[in-house]
Amino acid sequence: MRKVSEKVQLEAAEKLASSLNKMDGVESSVDVRTNGTQNRPIVNASVSPENWGEVAKQLKEKYLVDHCSMITGIHWPESSDKKWEVIYHFLRTGIRDPIIENGLVIPNIVDFSKVKGKDVPLEIQISIKIGDTRTPSVPSVQNLWVGADWNEKETWDLVGIDFEGHEGMRRVLNPHESPVGFHPLQKQHKLRYHGFEEMYDDAQGFMRKPVDSSRVK
Amino acid sequence: MAEMWISMGPQHPMTHGLWTLKIKVDGETVVDTEPDLGYIHRGVEKICESRDFTQITTYCDRLCYASANTWSHAYIYAAEDLLGVEVPERAEYIRLVAVEIQRIASHLMWLGAYGPDIGNLSVLVWCLREREMMMDLLQELGGSRMHYNFPRIGGVKRDLPHGFALRARHKLKLFLDRIQEYEALFDESTVFLIRSQGIGYAKPEEMINHGVSGPNIRAAGVNHDIRSSHPYSVYSELDWEPAVERSSIKGADCYDRYRIRVEEMRQSASLVLQALDKIPGGAETYHEPGDPKIIAKAPSRAPEGTSGSHHFEDSRGESMFYIAGGGEGRGKMPYRVSIRSPMFITIPYASKCMIGYKVADIPAIMGSFDPCIGETDR
Repeated sequence: MRKVSEKVQLEAAEKLASSLNKMDGVESSVDVRTNGTQNRPIVNASVSPENWGEVAKQLKEKYLVDHCSMITGIHWPESSDKKWEVIYHFLRTGIRDPIIENGLVIPNIVDFSKVKGKDVPLEIQISIKIGDTRTPSVPSVQNLWVGADWNEKETWDLVGIDFEGHEGMRRVLNPHESPVGFHPLQKQHKLRYHGFEEMYDDAQGFMRKPVDSSRVK
Repeated sequence: MAEMWISMGPQHPMTHGLWTLKIKVDGETVVDTEPDLGYIHRGVEKICESRDFTQITTYCDRLCYASANTWSHAYIYAAEDLLGVEVPERAEYIRLVAVEIQRIASHLMWLGAYGPDIGNLSVLVWCLREREMMMDLLQELGGSRMHYNFPRIGGVKRDLPHGFALRARHKLKLFLDRIQEYEALFDESTVFLIRSQGIGYAKPEEMINHGVSGPNIRAAGVNHDIRSSHPYSVYSELDWEPAVERSSIKGADCYDRYRIRVEEMRQSASLVLQALDKIPGGAETYHEPGDPKIIAKAPSRAPEGTSGSHHFEDSRGESMFYIAGGGEGRGKMPYRVSIRSPMFITIPYASKCMIGYKVADIPAIMGSFDPCIGETDR
């Protein structure tokens, strides 16, 4: 199998990290992880929420990061430096439409052992920390990566982090008639069958008695 | 004619699970669509927050019944990234065997379900017959028929059983012969060709922008595969290249998406055969469960402030786990587990893909993207 050499990938990652570092409100570094057989460099960047809109635009247009894998929202009620965090995972895939010769599509087979420059596949992880607020929000990237659309819907639905400028925000996994402000992955919501004490004095009216308090789990 | 909205689902053969596709039709033509998901949302991510790292594997198995092994492996790689575990090479080979057999089983399930979608019922029975062989092999490894709970953090549950390699080689050889029968069954069926060709065109650049990955994007003539662009496990030591389909000028249609999956089944079979030949220590050696050759010691606690993530090539596209570990004295349990489901992102795209086609084309287009609702709703 032809694969990207670790050296090329690390160089590309360091290059991207250093150019990201020059932007306002970005702190970026390369994190090399090992997964069994090989090292994988990840470009880690921490971006301030005010600058994220501009950084995202640069990522898409200048650094050709074309695939938004996942958006994760985390609620940190007891953390000292942040109360909310949004984490974006991107991949730079370098996918181009295949060329057409004489009416025939020529499949675009990239030889990964020879890629260089902005075609080197990379993993990018962006973290945005938000302070203590009841209405956390970050700029939406739906217009840049359409794939982020449903990720953002999900993050708002489950965690309650809003995305400014997102069109058509609605519940996707929770029922449409869920109460306003109900976002189950926020930490004040506990699993009912776990801490039994919490279960018996819950406000939602489960009138069961503790049968066996040792039967936790 | 006036336009109107129709709900397809939640109980409709096209949906392959519980969800609703709302379509706006003008006569017979689809002019707008809106998917509505969440019917079987179980809150797996929330449940995982109160389980320790080993217990989560079982929940990940149950994300998708057709492809349980790939999902538990996707989680395991992220957990190993978080805990910093180095896996023995033999265990990596066994995992590769398990995942690739699962990929064949998953694609066979898809092929079997896609036949009835577009009016070819007999193929369902044929595909399930071969899927049974694959599930027997997986049962030998994991112990149960569908939800194997096979990988462990640091290795695998048990070694290849005695005679497994022999049976696997034999069955895969038989399977490679029989795959030609399916191709004949599909490619020579006029009904299948009429109903799958020339509908649901999708172009690669548009797809990657919409977050679509896996076989659906390789059908359009690009070799984007996490196994080769971001290699993990021992894929880089085997001789293979991602399967790529030559699409038509307008992009990949439903027929291309069928071709790519047949090609991938062949390739997975070849990967398993190669892995059985190359496995360090030989495929016929057996180590007791817990032997350091197949499982490495793993810490059960993740330090505060650490995180782990891993991209993984699932049968349906790129799946991914992000785990935020420790934090606030909860060392044994993750603070947050986040799951990227390939189908959660692909279903909205597939719904947009069918705009402009006839209502009768909807099952063919939707089915060709291989939707699985268990992983979509989590």
